[in-house]
Amino acid sequence: MSIAGGTAIRLEEDPELAEQGEIPDFAEIVREHQGMVFSLAYHFLHDRGLAEEAAQEVFLELHRHLGTIESRAHLVFWLRKVASRRCIDQIRRRSFWPKFRLDEVPEPAAKADERDPMLSRALARLVASLPEKPRMVMILRYQEDLGPAEIAQVMDMPVATVKSHLQRSLDILRDKLARSVGEIAI
Amino acid sequence: MSYLEDDLKMALRRTEPPEGFANRVLARVSGPAPAQPSWWQYLTILVRPPRVQWVALSLIVSFMIPAAGVYRKERQARAEGERAKEQLVFAMRMTGNKLHRVHQKVLEMGRTDTRL
Repeated sequence: MSIAGGTAIRLEEDPELAEQGEIPDFAEIVREHQGMVFSLAYHFLHDRGLAEEAAQEVFLELHRHLGTIESRAHLVFWLRKVASRRCIDQIRRRSFWPKFRLDEVPEPAAKADERDPMLSRALARLVASLPEKPRMVMILRYQEDLGPAEIAQVMDMPVATVKSHLQRSLDILRDKLARSVGEIAI
Repeated sequence: MSYLEDDLKMALRRTEPPEGFANRVLARVSGPAPAQPSWWQYLTILVRPPRVQWVALSLIVSFMIPAAGVYRKERQARAEGERAKEQLVFAMRMTGNKLHRVHQKVLEMGRTDTRL
């Protein structure tokens, strides 16, 4: 089962896959999923240039492995998995982390509203200061809205480890925020 | 879900890539495949990142320091050997001279004995 560049393949022969619809051609895949892949890289690397480079590499790798993609669901899973792996590899290769150390990240200056862009920026920077794996776990949880079991599959790690990363990262963020805006219920 | 988790969802919501991203990806896909690096290019990779340069430098230094120590010890041992050799030659010469004098005296004594 394969999709050569530009040709979509129908998957009616497999009822389960057919439910998930046909796999679009490569250009359509890029346009449909560029936001997801780029955002994963951007929230992880916190640099638009590096994020674009990483996201492009993910799609180039997809183009090389297009023949192994079995369904839309598999495609999304594959993109998340490869994007996570590439981002972590890129950090390790470039000795990029820690660009923001947790104690260097400025604490939010004022009491935050529910949709405070300052708080969002501060939180994004705090997440970017976490170690590689917990950082990716947090991004998959809150950007992609994945559950611990799905994150465990994407990142090839036990569910218990995912839960512990989530819990510890939330504690760190809560602690950091509580120090500056103690009275806010978080 | 707590306020913090809501805020995290907001902070980590998807963002759009820079304009023309998809076109750049498609251009790279349709462009020529990058040439495979040759074996010597792989070798240059070993010394490219700064960290590896430090590792290489520390390896060289860690080999050079013991080698310099061994060389210095060898030179010292050779110099001591030379000195000992000179002392031995000097001692042998002295002994030779003394033996020569004793021999002369014995000969003189022999001569006087025969005259008697």
